[in-house]
Amino acid sequence: MAALPRRRSLGLRRAVATPAPELGGVPLSAGALVETGRPPGGGWRSHLGSLLFLAPAVIWLAVIVGYPLIGTIRDSFYNGNSTSFVGLANYKTVFSTADILVTFRNNVIWVVVAPFLLTFLGLVFAVITERIRWATAFKTVVFMPIAFSMTASGLVWNSIMNIDPHVGVLNATLETVSDWFSPPGLYPVNTSAGQTIASLAASGLRPGPGGTLVSSASVSPGQSLRLGLIGISPATLELVGAKSAQTVSPVSGAVNGLVWRAFSPAHPTVRNQVFPGEDGIVGMHLTLLGSDGSSVATTTTDVHGDFSFTGVSSGSYHVQLDSTNFSSGFTGIYWLSGNQSITPTSGLSQTAQALLSIPLVDMSMIIAYLWIWAGFAMVIIGAGLAAINREVLEAARIDGATEWQTFRRVTMPMLAPVLVVVFVTMIINVLKIFDIIVNMAPSVSQSNTLATELYYVGFSSPPAYGLASALAVLLFILVVPVIFINLRRIR
Amino acid sequence: MSAVQAIASPVTSSGRRLAIRLRPGRMVLNVVLALIAIFWMVPTISLLVISLRPSSSYGVSGWWTVFTDPAQLTLQNYKALFSTGFATGGILDSVITTALITVPATLLVTAISSLAAYSLVFGRWRGRTFVFLLIVGLLVVPVQVALIPVAQLYDAFFNLTGLHVYATLPGVVIFHVAFGLPFGIFLMRNFYTGIPKDLLEAGRIDGAGEWTLFRRVVLPLGLPAAASLAIFQFIWVWNDLLVGLVFLGGNAHHTLTIYLFSFTRTLSNDYWVIATGGIISILVPLAIFFAFQRYFVRGVLAGAVK
Amino acid sequence: MSRVVLKDLTKRYAGGNLAVDRLNLEVGDGEFVCLVGPSGCGKTTALRMIAGLEDISSGQVLIGEKVVNLLPPRDRDIALVFQSYALYPHMSVYDNMAFGLQLRKTPKPQIETAVRQAARILDLERFLDRKPGQLSGGQRQRVALGRAIVREPAAFLMDEPLSNLDAKLRVQTRAEIARLHQRLKATMIYVTHDQVEAMTMADRIAVISEGVLQQVGTPKDLYEKPDNRFVAGFIGSPSMNFVELKVEADRGSRLVGDGAQVVLDDAQRARLRDLGLTTATVGFRPEHLRVGELEGPGLRLDAKIDVVEFLGNDELIHAVSEGKDVVAIVEADARLTVGDSVVLSADPRHVYLFNPQTDLSLSAG
Repeated sequence: MAALPRRRSLGLRRAVATPAPELGGVPLSAGALVETGRPPGGGWRSHLGSLLFLAPAVIWLAVIVGYPLIGTIRDSFYNGNSTSFVGLANYKTVFSTADILVTFRNNVIWVVVAPFLLTFLGLVFAVITERIRWATAFKTVVFMPIAFSMTASGLVWNSIMNIDPHVGVLNATLETVSDWFSPPGLYPVNTSAGQTIASLAASGLRPGPGGTLVSSASVSPGQSLRLGLIGISPATLELVGAKSAQTVSPVSGAVNGLVWRAFSPAHPTVRNQVFPGEDGIVGMHLTLLGSDGSSVATTTTDVHGDFSFTGVSSGSYHVQLDSTNFSSGFTGIYWLSGNQSITPTSGLSQTAQALLSIPLVDMSMIIAYLWIWAGFAMVIIGAGLAAINREVLEAARIDGATEWQTFRRVTMPMLAPVLVVVFVTMIINVLKIFDIIVNMAPSVSQSNTLATELYYVGFSSPPAYGLASALAVLLFILVVPVIFINLRRIR
Repeated sequence: MSAVQAIASPVTSSGRRLAIRLRPGRMVLNVVLALIAIFWMVPTISLLVISLRPSSSYGVSGWWTVFTDPAQLTLQNYKALFSTGFATGGILDSVITTALITVPATLLVTAISSLAAYSLVFGRWRGRTFVFLLIVGLLVVPVQVALIPVAQLYDAFFNLTGLHVYATLPGVVIFHVAFGLPFGIFLMRNFYTGIPKDLLEAGRIDGAGEWTLFRRVVLPLGLPAAASLAIFQFIWVWNDLLVGLVFLGGNAHHTLTIYLFSFTRTLSNDYWVIATGGIISILVPLAIFFAFQRYFVRGVLAGAVK
Repeated sequence: MSRVVLKDLTKRYAGGNLAVDRLNLEVGDGEFVCLVGPSGCGKTTALRMIAGLEDISSGQVLIGEKVVNLLPPRDRDIALVFQSYALYPHMSVYDNMAFGLQLRKTPKPQIETAVRQAARILDLERFLDRKPGQLSGGQRQRVALGRAIVREPAAFLMDEPLSNLDAKLRVQTRAEIARLHQRLKATMIYVTHDQVEAMTMADRIAVISEGVLQQVGTPKDLYEKPDNRFVAGFIGSPSMNFVELKVEADRGSRLVGDGAQVVLDDAQRARLRDLGLTTATVGFRPEHLRVGELEGPGLRLDAKIDVVEFLGNDELIHAVSEGKDVVAIVEADARLTVGDSVVLSADPRHVYLFNPQTDLSLSAG
């Protein structure tokens, strides 16, 4: 038998086999290998080799993740600049500061609402896209936001949810819809400036029910009224094409009159006289009210502010300036408000209010979050759906299940593990949320969560390391159960 | 000819076509989904349009008016941002800064994860599973937990060696790599378990050492997973804000996210910067997303589904 | 139990290719019929059309005298056993078998009886509480069978149920299915690509190739009287040998080749003359070849031995004749070695002639 070439790093002893004559003289291949009891291919050298491969990762993780984890726990028991031991003082601060309790509340809201909605939405999308031809295009569109930074997304949604209907698409759309149902009047009151409808009445008018103005005196046919208003800007009047006010003479069988802007710079305090230069109020919708308050007729003032109800039977009437004239229409919902709560909490104590209210801003941010991550849930659940053995579903069909029964009793249970994965992943994600809040609602303190609070506390000046570390530890504690779920899943 | 219309759906994983019956409900479904898709694109489109409108028009008229008045589109915002050139703190500088952080972080995470995964799968030492579980446990640790101590660590390092790490690019990279490793190792390790051990046994018999086996057998076979990891990691780091804020704060150079974030206080006046900068910041991730969609999706799936 | 009748059953896919081309078949009440053929021949498609999982392009399927073309699977009173078993992984064995009945709102006691009975027949009683993931392949296959039995369908449809089992288990389960058939006297339509399964289990076999039915008959019929070259070559293992021989120019009483000859009888001669053929394909099974000269009419070949495989009682010979590889099974005491030149012969009733242009058998009847 030829000697075999020596090879490095092979810790084997070789035995040369002698041919077995009883097998017809056919020689076995030269150099049968015999194990020495060590795995073939190398002894300690290969062990070392592959352990070395692990070293960079382990060292890196130990220094930047492992040690700091311990460091944070330690720091949480120390004061602001980590110089003196304070025991549980930081934790006490955490649980007694209202603002920080609020962050807990927000975290709870996020964790309870967001993962559930996300998983649900992802499931709906995944199921629905199975039935359309252009599924890939749809999935791409919905999944794309993941490629954007949460910063950019937060800023985009900040703009979308802007309260001004000239900036925020959401409010603009709502305005269009709302105006279609109840369009704004020509002379909306400026409530932010403190104006009320009643304050518009200058002469011959008093406030009426339902945001109207009614003539103080009653009229009969053949009489004429002069109704004066203030607080209407000349710019508005010019915009709507008003001309100078003209008084009208009474006409028998009709109730007529003038609605005008009762303000003249020459006579600023005199209200019940029509001075030259004062404009008539055009386009004012008027209703003639009978003595019982019912509506008898309607009309609108002309460019001079004149109006006339003709063919009026005898009786006593009032003239009403309809409320629609003064409605401001839709002014925009403050989506990013930290004070408007979805749950009714007014009248509760401070703390109860803090803990139980669900500020609108949280829900708005969750909507933005859904926009970003629904695609993620959809893709994962879609993959889980596609992995289901089609024959099992066919077996259900043959067994007699309708589509809905198949979905509920076969597909969903088989999909359950995937749904759990998505749900749990989103919980972790949500607990760490920072970018969205900080960019979408930067100055809304009610919107902070643990993570944002941590940043503000830890990196403001002077930095409060102790408190920030306590927050970090709490955040970590919240996340620990998930570690075990993950580990159990992987084992 | 069968009286029932059939629409063949895409071939499923078992290679069968499912016959679905056409119903009028299908029409409604398509319409509803089309509306959802359009709605989904509105935010992105809004950003694009705002960046193409004169900055003075923000707050005066809505960006949706471009559809009726396309004449208002202009490139002046982009010109304005680019006119600062590569000045520190400007948009181009931010792009470069972000790239200088993202690329090394991605390469390092991919390389170190692959090496570690090799050891965890093909190494022959005890306790591999335990170490793996330990690393996987770190998957959920939030970065917030390590921010302050690492900052202190950097300071201590400076005191010791005089080398700045805090508020430097390497400082950010180091942190990103650390927090990218658990996911990277998880992904690569799962992929490597699918590589038949026989391949390596054959290599060992041929005399190959561990490094050779890694470089010439496992690494090439693991390229798809490495690609998925790299792409996922790239987008993740490119889009990060918090780590950058903490470890680059004080440095005149910004990442793109920090750049955008810095305008949140002056939002109403400077939204044009945010919109334009925002579009610029998403160009690279979007390009990668579209070019490597399959890999990215695979990375996402691997991370979430075992 | 009832008959299943296929009338001109056709499946056409978009793009025009015919997966199943006008299949006509009658399966009698209680009969066990195998659809057999190579992969992709359309047998599974045909089965799925019977089940209602594929739409029928044209033709009819009748189950129990009722045309079921437009009925969904659950109204066709059939049960299907899948190749991959298709058990519900999240349900126990009991629930797997009970599912169909539960959906039909069958009262619980009735379900209980039916499931337990099926479990008894299939020896699954111990496993009723387990999930499919905890069972072996063979056990899972039995659960799939149980699920079908519980339904008491008009017809059992089976799609290559043994393909995923290892060889030993396959033989065992084959016998179990045969036993099941005897016991239940159920109508069974069984799809397989393995002709051994078909030959051993079926009352009748339908051989299908490229969507077209080649021949229907009992296993014996198909073995002894194949209608065409495909059936002849498909049935029987090892498969039939084929050589091309020329009609002797002289009187046409022999087919000759390069050391091979077939002495024809009058009927065969007449057939060849009528069809105007100058060559014919000759088929002969390995088990019918003998070593030694021919006495009288029949086939005679000169061959050179290439490989000898010892099988115990027999030897399997690969020999070269007419430039082709010819397989023969002969008794082991023939003392043959590689390189020997031998004469192989076969009886005339074991010689099959086929039209080389149409591949149809030239034998009468």
